[in-house]
Amino acid sequence: MTAIAAERYTGASIKRSEDPRILTGAGRYVDDIKLPGMLHAAFVRSPMAHARVLSVDASAARELPGVVAAYTGAELEAMTVPGPDALMALMGWQGPTPQFTLLATDKVRFAGDPVAVVIAESRYLAEDGCELVAVEYEDLPPVVTAAFALDPASPPVFANLGDNIARTHSRNEFGDVAATFEAADRVFETHIDVHRHQNVPMEGRGIVASYDRDSGSMTVYAATQSVHVSKIAVAMRLGMEQDKVRVLAGDIGGSFGLKIGASREELAVAAASRDLGRPVKWVEDRGENLTTSGQAREESFDVRAAVSNDGDLLGMDVKMVIDTGAYPGMGAMVPDIVQAMFPGPYKMAALGFESTGAITNKCCYVAYRGPWASETFVRERFLDLIAKDLGADPLELRLRNVAPLTDPPAVMVTGRPLVGVTTQESLQRIAQLVDFPAFRRRQAEALERGVYLGIGVATFIEAAPGPREPGGPSGPMGIETMRLRLEEDGIVVLFTGQMPHGQSHQTTLAQIAADEFGVPFEQVRVVVGDSDVVPFGLTGGSRSATMTGGVALHGARQLKARVIDVASHLMEASAQDLEITDGQVLVRGDPASGIPVGEVARRAASGEFGADVDASLEVIAQFDGGEGGWSGGSHCAIVEVDTETGIVKVERYVVAEDCGALINPAVVEGQIRGGVAQGIGAVLLERSAYDEDGNCQSATFMDYLLPTACDVPRIEIEHLETVPLDADVNFRGVGEGGMIVAPPTLVNAIEDALSPFGVRIYEQHLPPARILELIAEVDAKD
Amino acid sequence: MPDITLTVNGVTRTGSPEARKTLADFLRDDLSLTGTHLGCEHGVCGACTVILDGRAVRSCLMLAVQAAGSDVTTIEGLGPDGELGELQQAMWDSHSFQCGFCTPGMVMQAAAFLGDHPEAGEPEIREALSGNICRCTGYQSIIDGVLLAVERIREGSARETA
Repeated sequence: MTAIAAERYTGASIKRSEDPRILTGAGRYVDDIKLPGMLHAAFVRSPMAHARVLSVDASAARELPGVVAAYTGAELEAMTVPGPDALMALMGWQGPTPQFTLLATDKVRFAGDPVAVVIAESRYLAEDGCELVAVEYEDLPPVVTAAFALDPASPPVFANLGDNIARTHSRNEFGDVAATFEAADRVFETHIDVHRHQNVPMEGRGIVASYDRDSGSMTVYAATQSVHVSKIAVAMRLGMEQDKVRVLAGDIGGSFGLKIGASREELAVAAASRDLGRPVKWVEDRGENLTTSGQAREESFDVRAAVSNDGDLLGMDVKMVIDTGAYPGMGAMVPDIVQAMFPGPYKMAALGFESTGAITNKCCYVAYRGPWASETFVRERFLDLIAKDLGADPLELRLRNVAPLTDPPAVMVTGRPLVGVTTQESLQRIAQLVDFPAFRRRQAEALERGVYLGIGVATFIEAAPGPREPGGPSGPMGIETMRLRLEEDGIVVLFTGQMPHGQSHQTTLAQIAADEFGVPFEQVRVVVGDSDVVPFGLTGGSRSATMTGGVALHGARQLKARVIDVASHLMEASAQDLEITDGQVLVRGDPASGIPVGEVARRAASGEFGADVDASLEVIAQFDGGEGGWSGGSHCAIVEVDTETGIVKVERYVVAEDCGALINPAVVEGQIRGGVAQGIGAVLLERSAYDEDGNCQSATFMDYLLPTACDVPRIEIEHLETVPLDADVNFRGVGEGGMIVAPPTLVNAIEDALSPFGVRIYEQHLPPARILELIAEVDAKD
Repeated sequence: MPDITLTVNGVTRTGSPEARKTLADFLRDDLSLTGTHLGCEHGVCGACTVILDGRAVRSCLMLAVQAAGSDVTTIEGLGPDGELGELQQAMWDSHSFQCGFCTPGMVMQAAAFLGDHPEAGEPEIREALSGNICRCTGYQSIIDGVLLAVERIREGSARETA
């Protein structure tokens, strides 16, 4: 590898160290693992959304040559420890907790629910075996919608709950909601829906579990966002001590929130491996991924807004219903974040927030890139509807109502200070980048030719990591830990609990540490994916830029101080006079004095300094997020809607963002573009659809449509100058923002394009057929 | 089980795959060439794309026995000795990819296309890659990588003519 010349690596688009292996087929994904004696699992799944399981007979499958074992739900239950969803347990969920087994025993609760697992010499044979498992079902009425689930007459999906409430109804008020609405000149009211969509990483879920009977230990090769969370989940459900479970992860083919911990199927595979004393692999196929891995969103909102005649947004009142699907995990917890984030960067002085969660016979709710994103969608959509009624310009209405940068900062009505938030600046930047008056002229000219153009703007903030609460005991995202070591050949090794699955941590963390420690980029290695050697951690919630970038910086600083201290004895110089540059410890201003850091490490290990010098060149560093801060930005889309076909073309897409100090601009821009592409998909293409019987209608890539290279335009990105809050660490998370704000940006643009028809849009999914319906609905009313 | 012989990445390989085994599974399981990825197994996502007798094909939609006698190139064989070829280098330089799962198919599709259209422009490249799904990048960095390769190929042939 050729050395990279840069004054500082941090802030430069350093080429990724992940790429040479990925580009040559040398990446190692979970499906690439092949162990001696490895068996393969396939699952028998329910064809019904809601049914009683009367009997499961796997005897014919067991007799098939090549099939080694088959487990029914009851058999697997006897091999595992019952308990709630591991993620809910880890996050301390106190609400309704359904009881269920890894494989269905008494009932199946969605089409695709696993009923039995067949283990065979190959995946082909395991699937043959599945064909021979006979299951008798007795139909139960399916609970397909949240509205029916909340009807006390609906049959309970989980017997121990007695109803279908995943999250008990609650109401909270911030500020004086009643007085705000009473005093308002105008009160607007609307209902907005967000449809069900899903993560769809190109690599689905997968696991290879390998139990060693002699040592009683389990090695799991996983595709996971956290090797430690997976380890805890496996240990919990298999009744093993945590130190007996080692989780390894290599390259991971995307996740977007799906692969946190271990799913029911993965735990079942681990249990089978223990029972058989052989390695077992399961990698889900795309049908399983689309129908059973997890889905997200599907929330509905009744919203009211108190507004003055001048266009001041005084307060909002929100009722949210979330459809958590069957086997609720993350879904029941999401409304709390939606509530906290609902005011966004706006000055509103009152917020009422009610929420309820419904259990339905659909695939379960999982975290998906910005799980709380509906707050931005609903608020930014509603603002455009309000602007129309007020006859105001949507951009002007936003500029009027967002909190400007002030000292002390404005405080969200839900409690957090908007310190360093540059929403106003990002909106102003959008207005500079996009010539709105020129667009309006072009739009009018186009309309005369029967061409429908529209423009839309939306803005968001994300707590990535969020501000430090004044006087708060800890940072906004807890603690991040990193172990750093200087090897005797001069390599600086970072051990992190981050589990990158596309985020480029092996590059970005090395950039920060190389700068801070004073070695070339190539001399830093980032070790991930081994629960025996990396500290606890999780890649998710856009935490890694601040938390892990920060701990890499502080850890490298600590390790450097240790090295300089040892070198000061070696070089008989005062530590204050030493520095590390380009991998050499030298007396400041005297390049000839330099000795390589590797030599310092070798001498340190020799023991020559005795007990008085701390010669251990390994540190464990921790970072609490420092002063934290917000990520955010404003997006603008220009679209053309073909009113004959309903096809929406995104003509231009502009982003003005502030994610703090950039570690690697190319990586940041990749995160933004990828998020925007998913937002474009959510609006124009993607939907996890169910029929009235609860059959998933989007089980293939010909039904669940993803954006292609022809659907996503070039995305223009402007980075705003950030407001530094911390002395050292001002990197902020950028993973989720694109997906959070692209949907309202696009829908606002589409509604603008259709304004000659008088179309109003109260939903997020706008495929061609729906565009045509929206136009026809207005025509029918006229 | 039928015996088959084919050329993979310039090397003659034989095998006895079950008749129902896909070419993708044969490459991955029997030949341990795990660079070829399976993203959907129904021919939509393109992650499993390999070059067979000069054309990009989806190895999940083809049986191994159908590839008997063919000349197959996978991602492992695209560059010289597993090193980066010109297209791969351009994609590295352009930060083309993130998670890397769609990468083998995307690169093979682009390589096959550039072989026939060495002077392609952005619209043609987008069209040519529109059957390969990437969930991470929004495609721009991938398109930029292919465009950079086109530029370098053009510069290279200009140098040769000069």
